[in-house]
Amino acid sequence: MDIQRRNNVQVHGEGTSTLVFSHGFGCDQTMWHYLFQHFTSRFRVVLYDLVGAGRSDLDAYESAKYGSLAGYARDLNDVIDHFGRGPVIVVGHSVSAMIGALADRLYPHRIAAHVMVGPSPCYIDCEGYVGGFKLEDIHSLLHTLDSNYLGWSSAMAPAIMGSPGQPALGDELTNSFCRTEPEIAKQFARVTFLSDNREDIAGLDTPTLILQSSDDLIAPLEVGRYMHATLPNSVFHLVDNVGHCPHMSAPAACAEAMDDFLKPWVGENVD
Amino acid sequence: MSTDQPLLPEFEDLFDSAPCGLVVTDEDGTILRSNRIFSIWIGISQEELAQRRFQDLLTMGGRIFHQTHWAPLMRMQGSVAEVKLELKNASGHTVTTLLNGVRREHVNGVYYELALFGTTDRDKYEREILEARRRAEQLLWEKTTTEAALQQAKVELDLAYEKSLQRAFFAEQMVAIASHDLKNPLTAIKMAADLLARGERTPRDTELLGHISQSSERAQRMIADLLDFALARVGRGIGITRRQVDLHLVIERSVKELRVAFPQAKVIHKQEGAGMAEVDADRMHQIIGNLVANSVAYGDPGQPITVTSTLHGERAMLSVHNEGTAIPESSLGNLFEPMTRVSELDTDLRSVGLGLFIVREIARAHGGDVAVSSTNETGTSFCVSFTRTGTAS
Repeated sequence: MDIQRRNNVQVHGEGTSTLVFSHGFGCDQTMWHYLFQHFTSRFRVVLYDLVGAGRSDLDAYESAKYGSLAGYARDLNDVIDHFGRGPVIVVGHSVSAMIGALADRLYPHRIAAHVMVGPSPCYIDCEGYVGGFKLEDIHSLLHTLDSNYLGWSSAMAPAIMGSPGQPALGDELTNSFCRTEPEIAKQFARVTFLSDNREDIAGLDTPTLILQSSDDLIAPLEVGRYMHATLPNSVFHLVDNVGHCPHMSAPAACAEAMDDFLKPWVGENVD
Repeated sequence: MSTDQPLLPEFEDLFDSAPCGLVVTDEDGTILRSNRIFSIWIGISQEELAQRRFQDLLTMGGRIFHQTHWAPLMRMQGSVAEVKLELKNASGHTVTTLLNGVRREHVNGVYYELALFGTTDRDKYEREILEARRRAEQLLWEKTTTEAALQQAKVELDLAYEKSLQRAFFAEQMVAIASHDLKNPLTAIKMAADLLARGERTPRDTELLGHISQSSERAQRMIADLLDFALARVGRGIGITRRQVDLHLVIERSVKELRVAFPQAKVIHKQEGAGMAEVDADRMHQIIGNLVANSVAYGDPGQPITVTSTLHGERAMLSVHNEGTAIPESSLGNLFEPMTRVSELDTDLRSVGLGLFIVREIARAHGGDVAVSSTNETGTSFCVSFTRTGTAS
């Protein structure tokens, strides 16, 4: 199997440890644009797309395999096997934080540490647990995804209206960023938001940095605190940020917290 | 600016009364300014709206979508077009809108400038299209699946057919080879027995030689039957060659031969109608031979066996009748199937149970069929009926 092609794996930088960046629901690896370059001088940096997202191989999508996060976790382990050098730290955003935790459970001790950006082990409220959502909210999301189904190829495209203020991406990426095949997007939405991984993370003692936004609809503060309480070897870091993507809207704060956390894994070639 | 241009409303006015919703927000979505149409859609005054975040006005699905798709896109691409989102207004209704947004960096900060168009009716229409597309895809999927199953079945059928052809060919070859190879030694045995019978023999020798001769003849007939059976069952069918013949004459000859073969039986030949028939004379002989042999075996030995040949219009008929105990009702149904005997008690008599099957196959090859009627009172009649000429159907 060609893992590079399947997951559109891109390797940057050099270092004795590897950072594997795994994007969340709705996007692709391009979302790490603001953050990953900060690490390329000290780490080997691996970016990849989850199958079904970005420029991954859509032919590799099997609804049975990707009907649960475990399928994505197996892929992540493949990526680590093929592209990881030295200790591997998985930087997972949102649902990918859970994919990283599952990969860790499937293959213990391979992952040296996790950086979880806006993680949530369970999105739906249930007895004694606040995830922030109700089941009907997820149906509402599927409805919204459907609304944008017809024009999926043109929706999401940049507005054609003069010259918008400095897009961060080159033209070649502008039209592919965040594009997902609609049916895959819907299944991924279900898998993401209906998963309950609380048992999988309970007692997971791999060192973990939790990057929690101060105001995040998708992963509220209580959920971040729950993660911190559940992971015995975790560091909780609150980033002053509105929204679910602090690595995009507050990359400097994220980088600073990560630098601190990643010190043990920086090799001799640190500047 | 030249003075002869018509006077336009102030830009403030144009913004406020534009025929679409216009909103300016901070990067985090806090509404800085919105126009009148937007305020009317939402049912909240423009002043109050200025305290809110744009994403908080969306349905829950819209808010998740905004966080996971729209916000990253705006940041990365700088603008997004034609995203459909639903807003919740003050009275709890949803307003479906198409949203275009652009991220603009000004000297004093970054602003998100949004234009929204109401699209409720269009949304309904699009959902119908979407539903129709789903149905079409479902139907296509069903059709594809069915076709694949059909194709698979066809492949299996072809394979099975190919196999059966091979088997049939093999069986035909086997029977042909076996019967051919068996015929020669049998002929030699019979000839030797006949030659030996010509010399001076004791009565015991003569009797034994007679047995040898008769047994050889029986074995030859069985081989002929087996060959016919193989051809009818697994091969190309029993072959016939139609020729113009006087049917009555053909049957008369057969009856004469049968009288010699079964000296103990009284065989009568009746003729009805006159003229020629286009049939296979050897096969006619075979029909009469098989049926009369049955009558001899199962009929009342004290009563005559009646062979009737009939020519009537486009049809020709042969029937053989004997008196005696009727064929059991239960046996009538499969009487013409191969390996069937009238009574389980019959262990010998002439053949392996192919006689009636062959009679039927010959009748069918002549475009006809065979029927039987059997009662204790009227006796047993086999009636073979077929077309008089090869061209008639």
